[in-house]
Order: sequence, then structure tokens, then C-alpha cells
Amino acid sequence: MRSARYVLAFLASVAILLAACSGGQQPAGGGSASPAAAAKAVYGGTVTFAIDTDPIDFDPLKSRAFVDRNVHYQMYDSLVRIDETGKIIPWLATKWENSTDGKTVTFTLRDDVTYHDGTKFDADSVKWNIDRYRTTAGSQRSGELASIDSVEVVNPTSVKFNLKAPFAPLLANLVDRSGMMLSRKVVEAGGEDFTRKAFKAGSGPFILTEAVKDDHITLEKNPNWWGKDKDGNKLPYLDKVIIKPILDSSVRFTNLRTNDAQAANAIAGKDVPTAKSESGLQYQEKAAYSFRSIIPNEAPGFVFSDHRYVKAVSMAIDRAELLDKGYFGLGVAGYGTIAPGHFAFDSSFKPFEKADVDGAKKLIQQIGKPLSFVLLVPSGDPVGLQIAQLIQAQLKKADIQMELQSLEFAAILDQQTKHTFKDMTFVGWSGRVDPDGNTYDHVYSKRPFNDSSYSNAQVDKLLDDSRATFDEAKRKDALRKAEQIFVVDDPARVWLGFGAAQLLTSRKVQAPPVYPDQIIRFQLMSMAK
Amino acid sequence: MTQYILRRLLLMVPVALLVTLIVFALVRLSPGDPILIYAGEERDPAAIEALRHEYGLDRPLPLQYVSWLTHALQGDLGRSLRTRQPVLQAITERLPKTLELGFAALLLSISIALVVGSIAALKRNSPLDLVATGFTIAGVSLPNFYLGIILILVFALAARIFPPGGYADFASDPFDNLKRLVLPAITLATASTAVNLRQVRSSLLDVLEQEYLRTARAKGLREGAVIVGHAMKNALIPIVTIFGLQIGALLDGAIITETIFFWPGVGRLAVDSIAGRDYPVVQAIVLMSALSFMASTLAVDILYAWLDPRISYGRRSS
Repeated sequence: MRSARYVLAFLASVAILLAACSGGQQPAGGGSASPAAAAKAVYGGTVTFAIDTDPIDFDPLKSRAFVDRNVHYQMYDSLVRIDETGKIIPWLATKWENSTDGKTVTFTLRDDVTYHDGTKFDADSVKWNIDRYRTTAGSQRSGELASIDSVEVVNPTSVKFNLKAPFAPLLANLVDRSGMMLSRKVVEAGGEDFTRKAFKAGSGPFILTEAVKDDHITLEKNPNWWGKDKDGNKLPYLDKVIIKPILDSSVRFTNLRTNDAQAANAIAGKDVPTAKSESGLQYQEKAAYSFRSIIPNEAPGFVFSDHRYVKAVSMAIDRAELLDKGYFGLGVAGYGTIAPGHFAFDSSFKPFEKADVDGAKKLIQQIGKPLSFVLLVPSGDPVGLQIAQLIQAQLKKADIQMELQSLEFAAILDQQTKHTFKDMTFVGWSGRVDPDGNTYDHVYSKRPFNDSSYSNAQVDKLLDDSRATFDEAKRKDALRKAEQIFVVDDPARVWLGFGAAQLLTSRKVQAPPVYPDQIIRFQLMSMAK
Repeated sequence: MTQYILRRLLLMVPVALLVTLIVFALVRLSPGDPILIYAGEERDPAAIEALRHEYGLDRPLPLQYVSWLTHALQGDLGRSLRTRQPVLQAITERLPKTLELGFAALLLSISIALVVGSIAALKRNSPLDLVATGFTIAGVSLPNFYLGIILILVFALAARIFPPGGYADFASDPFDNLKRLVLPAITLATASTAVNLRQVRSSLLDVLEQEYLRTARAKGLREGAVIVGHAMKNALIPIVTIFGLQIGALLDGAIITETIFFWPGVGRLAVDSIAGRDYPVVQAIVLMSALSFMASTLAVDILYAWLDPRISYGRRSS
């Protein structure tokens, strides 16, 4: 009897182990992790998604807003995508190979993909799309693809990217809009404004059938999509997704509670406890790639040109309290740009884990002049103001006087980009798949988002090194060394933490998992049984 | 009278031009670069410069104004910097929705104000008068955004009588359209109802003390005829002024309400455009708002003459 129990226990362990191993394999369409996919598929139904901002541009070439991606991901397929852990997975490209000198990347493509208009996806299509993104005047993607010198069609299912120099973050850039493939026929026939009316340029799980600005966007199932869940069921499950922009977070939340919407993003921290406790709702959260920071103006002549003051502010802030009371526990405390979802994340990197009031005081004493400065807070942002007031109170303990000045966001942005702001501003970043996207443009000398005017030759070199190698261990090392410098040794900013990817759904639907890029995968959502 | 109307219409032209000039200067003087705002997290310098050039924002300001005005006179109000949608299309798409909400609110406001205000005046210091006075104070004091949220919580979340917002096309589902109209219309109407109610009550009270009413009663007229035919008509002049101004301000009032109830009208477009310095859209909306104000004041002036024959816009007799 006892031996039978052992046998059963052994068999159970093997079964668990096997199940765990199979989770690592990614079926086409990213279906492995879906709770919906774990059971028999339920097809049909319409889900209304209450989104926090009105999506603006459906052409990936011109899209500038983060929110647009919530529509793009439903309509378009990219060459590669990420899974829920942030790992890059095959999508339209089934595999890719880097040359030994790192100057070419060859992609092998799926051969069973057609666009919504019926035209076939192939290597020519990849070349046309990438060249369009790279060379069109005013393209918002040209920067992300600047490392590409040319694109070569090897055969219908193989395409080669020749790079100017090895560029490791390229693959991560191709996860998003720069890697999205559109039907040449539809784009050329529709001209510059092809996204004005319903169009069939994508190959993704849903087809855009209606878009009324500020009101709704209707996406209908693409019955010919190639994606399948882990049981081999065709994706997507839903017939229709209606995206409704609802700007006020309380109203968005209410819409879920009244079942006028079945999915919502960006739930306010104050509403999260209710969202978690309400029986008709399901709330999921995960640390996102996004970060929260305060930017000091380190340009000559400004108080923070002495970077030790930046460090003193960083030391005096109690991030745990800020997270708890300011952000209502939403997100995680953090200190730099490399987020928990990034391959280079170092969970032991906690330079300012506890507020060091005495240390901050000592540092300011060393400088010899008390610190008094202004923090610009965007007007009409009560949560931001509350957080600023909390920081103000924390800094006061270290004898740092921080004055709050409310200014319209547009005005702050203007001063920030001109490097004329006095003295610090709040800035968030929606986050990128590769830590390079969270770091390079923000701290590298004279890059577009380096609003603090930070410059450190060592940091520049380390970041360049991390771009030039495909060796993950070397990249990790370079990025972490750079982070130690621009956060602690010679700080560029005061980082406060990472945001949260949220998904609130009605129990009437089976929710997909949450992804660190904060974009919802509707192809994995289904109605509940 | 016709001459007067024509003169007023002609006068609108320079006023409208002046409005465009002031708005053009104001939106451009306010700090903030629309291209940077809409660039969001894509700040590639080359792409930014290309966009600036595409929208003509790299040209001198006077040239930009002349170019905008020339195109506007030909019916081309430009393209939204935010969405690239033609401005005229953006406005005409949303205007019917704003007008629907605005007129529903106005209808609600005027009918309640006329009925309750008259009763409150006739039954001065009665419980109903006190309730009406209380309502006017509460109505004026309650901000739109607060009232809207309260209504949503009570009628959408707790009672589940009305949806919490959104818009449904009247042609495809009239019942759903009206259901979704109720809460935003009440929200929008509350403040103006309070003002109108007070105005009706006080105007009527002023008139009720006039001697000609005593004469009317003395000659044997029924009370109803005295009130409606004599008192009300004379009390209407200040009331019509207030109503007229409210018609002109329909658009302005809708701004907050449309945002709370995600009603896809011009008000919401205005909010987004002002915050994002979407110059062409802001200019067009303000111009439209100014024109609607001018038109409604003209209509009010014409109504004056009908209400009070002593008011004449004809040539003065020498």
C-alpha cells in the first residue's frame, strides 16, 4: 500500500514536471499561458474594453502615442513578439540568426500568413515594410531602425537585415510597431490617409471594421488568423472587441462594475482594493517596464549641476512609503531604468532601499550649501500633486526644502526639452522591451530624452558596449555597471519605481495573462463558460 | 427690422475676424509645443522637424495666420495636429452629438425653470418656494464633474437604471440613445436650471407687484390669463436674455459633462485640443463658439422686439 503511494507520488511529480516544462514552449499565437486555453475553447462573444485614452493613429509608421499599441497589437502581426515574461518569441518570423560579426540578421518567415485583404505575407512584404518605416519622411520608426543599412530578400520565406554595426536591441524593436507588417496593396491604394476609414492592412487576429474618434473602435475576428492555442484550437476566440475610450478612471471602473465594459486598463490605485474584492471582477497586475522618475536640471548654472544634490534627494526619499501611500501599492519600488521584466534586472540592486536621512544631511553638509529647489507638478493631476507633497514631507526630514509649482503639462514639457526648467520635474516612461529602450535615450549624452543634460563618458561607453554585443551576459554586465553609475555614483535622475501592468476584467470573460508591456492580448481572451 | 438684421450680420464679419486673430495669438502665445506633445515618447529630431514642416509650423506666425485664414474662408480649416483628421470633419462628426446633449439639457432646464420658477413666485415663501430656492443654491454650487460622478454612482452603479455613459446612435437604437442621454443632460442642465429658475422667479415677482396687473384683475380677467398673458410676457425679457446666452454657451457647458460621460462631442474635442495645443482644432472650435454666441444674441434681440413692442430696431423718427 505504502509503495503504491510512493509510485503515485512519483507519477504526480513527473506529471507536474512535464507540465512545467511544456509551459516553456510557445505555440503560434502566444496561447500557452492563457487561462482560457487551459480548458476547451469557448468561441464567440463581444467584449467591450474601456481604455484610458483615445487611440490616435492606426498607422505604425506615424503612431506616436503609447495607447495606439492597444489597437495595433490586435490588427497587426510583428516579426517577433514577447511572451508574458518578456522573452522574445517567434511570431511572423519563426527563427532568426545573427552572423558571427553581428552585422546581419536573417529571419525565416511563416509561409501560412495572409493579410486581411487576402494578399500573401512574404519576404518581399517584409522588405517593403521595413524600407517604408526607414525611409518615409516623418516616419516615427526611422530612429528605431536606424541601425539597418539594407534589407535583402533571400527567398519568399527568408529575409536578411544588413546592419551598419551590430545592434543588439534591434530584435526588441521589431517586437513593436517597427516590426509590424502591413499589406502593401492596401497601404498604396489608400494613400497617406489609408487609416482614415476601416481598412484591411493587417494580418493580426482582429480586423478593424469601424473607428469613430473619441467614441469607439470595433475590431472583428479574423477567421483566417494563423494563431493557435496550446490545444491546437484556432485563435482568436472572441467575435468582436469594442474599444471605448473612457478618460476618467472612476468612470472606467464603474463601467466594469455595471458590466457596460468587460475589460479595462489603468485602474486607479484607490480603486484596486475594491477591484480585488468584488466577486464579479478579476484583477491582475504585474510589474511593467514603465518607470517613474524625477528629472533634475543638471545643466550648468542650475542647482543640480552638482550631482551630489541629486544623490542627496535620492537618499532622502522613502520609496516604500511613496509606493504605499502615494501610489496605493501600485507597481514596485525601484531605483533605476532596468525593470523586473528585463533580462538585465538585478533584484539585489537596491541602493536606496531605506531612506537615509542622516546620509543625505551629511552629503549636503559636505557640499556646504543647503538644498532648496522647485519641483514642477503638472496642473490637473491630483495624484501627482499628492505624491509630490509626500516627497516634500520626506525631504523636509533631511532639511531639504522643496517648493511645489503647478504648471500646465505642455509648458513643463516645453521647458524640459529646452533644458530651462527649474529645478526638477516629474517624468514617467511607458517602458520598452529591451532595457536599452529604457536607458540609452535617457542618460546617454545629448540624446533626445536626456532632459537632465546628463553626460558621463563611462556611461556612454558602457551603453554603446551593450548595444554592440549579442552576448546576453556581456550586455547584462555593461547595463548593470552603467546603472550603478547613473543611479548611484554620478546620478542622472531620481528614480522612484516601476509601474504596473493592469488588467481588470469581468468574470464573464476568461482573461489572458498580463504582459509587462501593458498591452492586452485579446486573441487570448474568451467568454467564460 | 430687415435692415437691422442685415447690419448685425455684416457686423459679425469683422467680429469673427477679430476673434480668429485673438485666438490665433492666444493659442500660440501659450507655452507648449504641439509637435513635442504629440511626439510623446517618439522624439526623433528628424521626425519632429519633418512634422513641424508638414504642418507649416516652421513658418513665421503672420504667414501661418494668413494661410490659415485663406484656407478657412474656402472651407478648409486644416488638419488636427493630434489625429491628422480634417478639422471640419472632426467638428461636423461631433457637433450633432453636442447639440443633442445641449438641447436636451436646455429643454430640461427651461421647462423646469418656467414651471417651478412661476409657482415659486406665485406661492412666495411656501414650502415649494423654499425647496426651489434651496435647489438653486445647491445647483449653482455643485460642480458639474462632481454631480456627474454622483449621478453615475447612484443611477448607474447602485440603482442600475441608466448606463454610466457613452453614446448610442439615435438612428440605430433610439431607446439606447435616450437612455444614455438622461444622466449627462441632467448634469449639464442642473446649474443652468438653478440660474434660470431664480431668474424666472425674481422677474415674475417684480412684475407681480406692478399696478397694471391689479388693473387686469380689476377688469375681471381670470388669474390664469393675468399671469400668462400679462405678467409672464413682461417678465420674459430678462429671462430670454439668460436663455439666449445659454444657447450660445451650449458648447462651453458640454466640455466637462462630455468628458465625464465619454460623450463623443465637440466639448471633449475641445478639452483634448486645448491641452495638446492642437492649434487648428482650437481655432475652429473657438470661432464656431463665437459665431454661435453672435447668432444667439441676435436672435435674442429680435425676440425682444416681439416681446415688447416698445423696442424697435427700425429707423428712429425725427
